[in-house]
Amino acid sequence: MLNPSAQFASSSSSGISSLGVNLKAFIFQLVTFLLVLLILRRWVFPKLVATLESRRDALERSLLQAKETEEALKAAEEKADKLLHKARARADASLADAAKKAEGVIASAESSATERAGQVIKEAKAHLDQERERLHQELRGELADLVVRTTEKVLRQKLNDKSDQALIETSLKELKS
Amino acid sequence: MTSPSRRLLASYGATQLIAQRPVAEIARELGSVLIASRRQKEADLLVSDIAWELEHRGQTANTKLISAFPLTQSLKEEIQSFVKQAAKVDSVILDEQIDKNVLGGVRIETAQHAWDKTLARALADIRKEF
Repeated sequence: MLNPSAQFASSSSSGISSLGVNLKAFIFQLVTFLLVLLILRRWVFPKLVATLESRRDALERSLLQAKETEEALKAAEEKADKLLHKARARADASLADAAKKAEGVIASAESSATERAGQVIKEAKAHLDQERERLHQELRGELADLVVRTTEKVLRQKLNDKSDQALIETSLKELKS
Repeated sequence: MTSPSRRLLASYGATQLIAQRPVAEIARELGSVLIASRRQKEADLLVSDIAWELEHRGQTANTKLISAFPLTQSLKEEIQSFVKQAAKVDSVILDEQIDKNVLGGVRIETAQHAWDKTLARALADIRKEF
């Protein structure tokens, strides 16, 4: 006589076996699967999940940090832009101020140079006038000397006792008058 | 003892000359004073001072005439007359000197006055004016 299982097997073989499935193998595979599943759930999945979780957290933190970094970078760029703009404005103001000062210095130097040149010209003119006057006086002196010397020579040659007597008589008349 | 000044001696000498004391005596007296006070070198100056005193008192003008040529008698008399009138003195003594450097004309010098009418002076004035 057949046991129930054998009967079931025979009956099943008649049912499932008719579908081409080996029940024993199926059960064995199912148990194996369950065992593997159990082992996996017991030892592998928690670690795997933990690892994945940790990686996800790390990834999220990285993203967050990246976002923060991007924001910080943006803020830094804005700040740098502001600083650059400020520095440029300050540099422009300094340049304008320097240009203004340079114009002032140039104008002052031009004025001073003009004044100095005027003074130099005035002094030179005065010196020239003095020199001309000196030369004029010198020339007059030399001319007078020449005239006197010539007259003296002529008088020595031409003057005699008679003309001298006439000269003295005229002088006495002048003295008496 | 202080020695008398030259001005005082000149005044004394002039007074004595006007009083018509002999010139030699006066000269001896004044000479003694100069020698005593060791001022022999002042003899010429004393003579000049006496001439100044005499002219100042209207007595005599010792007149020096400097010319390039000798002066005629008429000219001398004319000059004497002029000096008497100009210096207001009773008599004029002329001392004529010839100096070719004056070129022409005459220079009349007394103790107190001088009239220079020489050509040398005229030329010097011209030179100055230039």
